Amino acid sequence: MLLTFKTMGALRWVLVGLSVIVAIFLLVPVIFIVALSFGSSQWLAFPPPGWTLRWYQELLADPRWLASMLTSAKIAALTTICAVTLGLLTSFALVRGNFRGRETLRAAFLTPMILPVVVIGVALYAFFLRIGLNGTLTGFVIAHTILALPFAIIPISNALEAFDKSIEDAAIVCGASPWEARLRVTLPGIRHGLFAGAIFSFLLSWDEVVVAIFMASPTLQTLPVRIWGSLRQDLSPVIAAASALLVLLTICLMIVAALVQKGRQK
Amino acid sequence: MTNFKTTALAGVLASAALTPALAQDMVFTSWGGTTQDAQQKAWAEPLAESDGLNVLMDGPTDYGKLKAMVDSGNVSWDVVDVEMDFAIKAAEEGLLEPLDFDVIGRDDLDPRFTTDHAVGSFYYAFVIGYNKAVLGDNTPETWADLFDLEAFPGKRTFYKWSAPGVLEIALLADGVSAEDLYPLDLDRAFAKLDTIKDQIVWWGGGAQSQQLLASGEAPLGQFWNGRIFAVQQTGVDVGISWQDNLTTADALVVPKGAPNKDAAMKFLARASSPEGQAEMAALSGYAPTNLKSPELMDPEVAKTLPDAHEDTQIDLDVAWWAENRDMLADRWYAWQAE
Amino acid sequence: MTTATANPAADRSRMKGAALALPALLLLLGFFVAPVLSLLVQSVTEPSFGLQNYRELIATPTYATVFFNTFLVATLVTFFALVLGFPVAWALAVLPPRWAGVIFAVVLLSMWTNLLARTYAWMVLLQTTGVVNKSLMALGIIDTPLALINNLTGVTIGMVYIMLPFIILPMQATLRTIDPATLQAAALCGASRWQAFWRVLLPLALPGIASGGLIVFVMSLGYFVTPALLGGTSNMMLAELIAQLVQSLLRWGMGGAAAFVLLVITLALYAVQVRYLGAGRTAVGG
Repeated sequence: MLLTFKTMGALRWVLVGLSVIVAIFLLVPVIFIVALSFGSSQWLAFPPPGWTLRWYQELLADPRWLASMLTSAKIAALTTICAVTLGLLTSFALVRGNFRGRETLRAAFLTPMILPVVVIGVALYAFFLRIGLNGTLTGFVIAHTILALPFAIIPISNALEAFDKSIEDAAIVCGASPWEARLRVTLPGIRHGLFAGAIFSFLLSWDEVVVAIFMASPTLQTLPVRIWGSLRQDLSPVIAAASALLVLLTICLMIVAALVQKGRQK
Repeated sequence: MTNFKTTALAGVLASAALTPALAQDMVFTSWGGTTQDAQQKAWAEPLAESDGLNVLMDGPTDYGKLKAMVDSGNVSWDVVDVEMDFAIKAAEEGLLEPLDFDVIGRDDLDPRFTTDHAVGSFYYAFVIGYNKAVLGDNTPETWADLFDLEAFPGKRTFYKWSAPGVLEIALLADGVSAEDLYPLDLDRAFAKLDTIKDQIVWWGGGAQSQQLLASGEAPLGQFWNGRIFAVQQTGVDVGISWQDNLTTADALVVPKGAPNKDAAMKFLARASSPEGQAEMAALSGYAPTNLKSPELMDPEVAKTLPDAHEDTQIDLDVAWWAENRDMLADRWYAWQAE
Repeated sequence: MTTATANPAADRSRMKGAALALPALLLLLGFFVAPVLSLLVQSVTEPSFGLQNYRELIATPTYATVFFNTFLVATLVTFFALVLGFPVAWALAVLPPRWAGVIFAVVLLSMWTNLLARTYAWMVLLQTTGVVNKSLMALGIIDTPLALINNLTGVTIGMVYIMLPFIILPMQATLRTIDPATLQAAALCGASRWQAFWRVLLPLALPGIASGGLIVFVMSLGYFVTPALLGGTSNMMLAELIAQLVQSLLRWGMGGAAAFVLLVITLALYAVQVRYLGAGRTAVGG
């Protein structure tokens, strides 16, 4: 009754109402950024005195913006692959394992989340300098994987805990090997957790600026590092234009994903 | 296993990404944004043409990163743009290379911004700025006006970080004369600041100060001179008062153990040359640190720069600040957090 | 083999289970624990050997204020994010797919937009002359602008905004795994809506609530960007202070000491949670 929409009665409208309010709260800054990207005021006055495409022209005229977006996407994708793979393995150990020190291990995997990123940034950078990983893509991905790992482990192990293990056991009884059962039964069963872990990992890397400043080099300038410099120095609405383009890209990807899903259902 | 595979994968991609790296001659690090773009145009690009020197741009400047590099002996920056008081402090801590003044011409450099370890990058002044659209004819002229809540009610904006500037302004506003500023009377300065503390909006970076001024969020305050001109140029009606403007400079330094020292000295020679400084000033709105630069400049541009206002100018004592940096920071942040 | 334990297959998989954590553990030991430890060690060696950094940390009221601010903000943010996030997660779990898809898309869209840009947008929205104040005044709801920025309100709004998706996603994942039949069973047994919520749904959802809450609380403790842009100087949080010490003043010893104290307090809180709420499972595992 509380988890079936049709039988929830008046409660469902309360839920819908609250969700819409929160959704508006989440949307307002995004819409605002898109609006500012067309505004003619350099100083983000709102409502803007006029409308212009100037910031988009500046954005497209400077190849460094596109280059930094690609660098960010590459690092974020690699970080996601590493963090989710490691996070999945670790989650199996933490949820299914039964060994001494498991609780301590859980806490240990959380520590990268607790420390302020500047501490991790400076410590890791000093370490990378000694072993020659500074300014390399490998070093960058390692740094972001460490930051992302707790964000992958938490939702994945959470989903794994909630997943009914007897379904996996049933598959084994029916003749599947344990790995086959995990791959074909358990993984689809915890896909929401995997998805959340992947999104968190990707976004953590995609938005991370403090550690990124330490890991950056002339050939590795991620989008947040560029935006950080630009925000402090110029506050150019080009940043709004870059963000707005990414919003557009996201919407396109979502529509494609929705269409693919629809096609499959047919 | 998977760990190994993914690391290996990352490694392969890393080497693929690194192979096309350019023939690197030196790395210059600054704060990013249009200032660094101007430095690239005024200094790096002419050097590429005249000497075939390839200057890679890195950034933003981060003192923690600089210290880590020097400590490890694996330095990847050759020239770095830093604040003047940091340059003095860093030289004392052994983080910087002494400069080669056989390559860099020292004679024409403004001695206020030149040390054995640093040459001025650009120089600027803290001035009083105000938004005419908000204040009308009632405009602030002196630092004391910024502390006058009756004549100028509402928010005013000051520089957020512990750095030369705000404490001096408070003392000047309280009637201390320019000659008697140093050593700063901190109790008196903080007491003066307390009188307007709840009306202060702090700006952490140049862009934020412009946004506060242009939007009228804080229609008056303390600004970097170059920032006011940039706002004026976008058509916003803002005014400036040069009364008791406070000057200091950004400095160019070479970290200890920089891999391309010779190239770095060449770069500094160009950056501090009359032409290099004149071009930088024209592009950025900051003043040249080479005394011969103004005569190379368009007089219309030159008259908007701080060196046209030396009659009412006060030099910030960066050496005193460098000496007391930690103590001042402790007091500053403790007072801010109160 | 078969005689050793009652269930050898299960036993073997348990041992394997422990080994599965090894790759991540090695990565963490090599590239996190070792480097961070060497920085923390500097807290007792820089500027000279001894505990003077810790003594200064305790003796200086500023640090106590900053620690207090940090935990206050983290608590406020976690509370509001949970209160606002729970209904959305619930709605996502029960709404017809089409509607849920729209709300889900909004959540993802906001997450995807650059964090710095979003935070800056809040700055312009919330300032005295900003859109929010102007709209409220135009509507006649307020006469004088509200102070929404450069104070606790600003940090809380900005951070709740950033953290909401981190609460919503794990919570809806947990809620989706709950079998609606459980609640129907509760209804058949005579439970009222209210009882079913408090005694059945909420306990079942607790793992998701705890894990989302934990993510947000811990993330907030070390957060830098939003407090730096939306907070006032009297709400300075620890990450900003440590950034000052490490990046601007080069006092790594002091920065290390502050970081170490934060780490110890947080892990102690975590241990308390594990012990008294039995939350080792609920917190991370579910």
